[in-house]
Amino acid sequence: MSDEIATSQGPSAVVSARGVVKRYGRTVALSGLDAEIGTGITGLLGSNGAGKTTFLSLILGLRSRDEGQLLVLGEDPASSGLPIRARIGYAPEHHDLPSELPAADFVRHLAEVHLLPRRAAVQRANDALWLVGLGEERFRSVGAMSTGQRQRVKLAAAIAHDPELVLLDEPTDGLDPVQRTEMLDLIRRVGTEFGMHIVISSHHLEEVERICDAVVIVEGGVVAHSGTLADLRRGPEGFLVEVDEQAEELAALLRERGHELTLENGVLLFAGADGDHDAVRDAVADLGVGLRRLAPRGRTLEDVYMGTEV
Amino acid sequence: MSSEQGARLFGLGYRGYEGARREPRWAMLTIGAFTVRRVLGLGRPARHKVLPAITLAIAYVPALVSVGVAVLLEDLPVGDLITYGEYMFFIGSALALFSALIAPEALCPDRRSGLLGLYLAGPLDRNRYLLAKAAAVLAVMLLITLGPLLFMFAAFVAAGHGPSLGETPELLLQILIVGVVAALGYAALSLAVSSLTTRRAAAAVGVVLLLFVPVIVARSAIESTGAPDTLDLLSFPFVISELSYRVFDEFHYEGASIEELSTWAIAAGAAAWIVAGALVCWLRYRRTEGYR
Repeated sequence: MSDEIATSQGPSAVVSARGVVKRYGRTVALSGLDAEIGTGITGLLGSNGAGKTTFLSLILGLRSRDEGQLLVLGEDPASSGLPIRARIGYAPEHHDLPSELPAADFVRHLAEVHLLPRRAAVQRANDALWLVGLGEERFRSVGAMSTGQRQRVKLAAAIAHDPELVLLDEPTDGLDPVQRTEMLDLIRRVGTEFGMHIVISSHHLEEVERICDAVVIVEGGVVAHSGTLADLRRGPEGFLVEVDEQAEELAALLRERGHELTLENGVLLFAGADGDHDAVRDAVADLGVGLRRLAPRGRTLEDVYMGTEV
Repeated sequence: MSSEQGARLFGLGYRGYEGARREPRWAMLTIGAFTVRRVLGLGRPARHKVLPAITLAIAYVPALVSVGVAVLLEDLPVGDLITYGEYMFFIGSALALFSALIAPEALCPDRRSGLLGLYLAGPLDRNRYLLAKAAAVLAVMLLITLGPLLFMFAAFVAAGHGPSLGETPELLLQILIVGVVAALGYAALSLAVSSLTTRRAAAAVGVVLLLFVPVIVARSAIESTGAPDTLDLLSFPFVISELSYRVFDEFHYEGASIEELSTWAIAAGAAAWIVAGALVCWLRYRRTEGYR
């Protein structure tokens, strides 16, 4: 069953899904999801109920799929759930953690559960807590920590056993802007310096855009878009122009002067060469209108997510 | 202090782990040992040690007193010493206290705090998790059941009040059977109730109700409506107590209708309680959403 997907799986694929279907009674959570998650940091985007959580649970082998094929780190989580989960670190979305346990004990305990010998677990729990900036707080009980510190504890617990793949579910939830920036920098560092592949499930486009190498956007139980950020952002050649007023007059003037362009929703879209920039400058000056925006055509992640394109 | 104030101590030599990793069964052992420490209050604030200490005191102090009396009064007739069957009253009391107030600590907080989800995201599945938890609770209960009985046995033998050499294996086997069955029964009951709620207090109330309400109901039904004696098998403490007397082959008469039942019927009743408790717990966790 998995041979077919194994042969089609790219050499750098960490997770490969083909036609994955998951139903809860009559509700279809995933309806033929195809996705390939590569190395590095990947953002798993989608609205509530899109199927992100279900997909993560299938990756962890905590639920069984109804149809399709799935390989995680080269193995099928449905049949090799235990060994795969030993190689995965997971930080859940919720902040409820055993409140009376000191952070060091909590992280060490989970490292032992992930099969590290006691001495190594103690050492690595301390290392991980230092890494996330809680070295001096590691003997404080988790219940006495702020939301930001708990998020860091969860990250430390997810990476302490040195997993190959780390799944982070809304890792910046509940953080203020400064903490959010620090957490994103930390995740980026873990993903780039320590050889762990990271999948971040998030609602926040700007966060994903900021630290991820690739994105999988899930909507309605299927993958709406996926690819590297560079590929997804890549739009048509050319540039666009926005002016304060008289967009139609400006378009007409430029056409008269022999330039090819289209006008969409008040935005002038040029497919052409750099020489058009000078023509736009001159035409804008001739009409005396304000130039609001002159930029290369392309897409933001939001454009991709919302299905808009300029 | 270190993180919130802007000081950074990153880069202190964090590196990949290339050492040996254990087999998946170690995850169960880790959780089992962790659970034993938690229920006994080890490594926790003093308030968490109070109830375990009281429980162990109820189980062991009468044994110490009995042994002390036996040693001090060497001429005391063997018949005047507390019997193993009679001693099950103290053990039963300690087990009831433990199963109601302490054992729920094994399961309830894991679901309440989300730790269950983190466990199941590791090299564990529900069955292994439950097995580790059940083994931990059972281990502490065996400490309550077997510990005092074996201590009494050893002390009585040393004081010259013990059984003859030929009777020793049989008595040891009887202690083992009673200790294991009582521990299994109370563990199954407590885990079953704990599996139904995330709150320890609710579990405690549930266990108390399950221990005592059927006793009252069964007794009332038998005495007032002439219901069959087998209804007394719903009274879990009676079942364990009566089975202990039967296994130790001790005669007693308290006028309870369960005394009219055959030993096999009582053994079947105890087995039914154990199986039912285990089944409830297993079914509950089979449907529990560990991932969140």
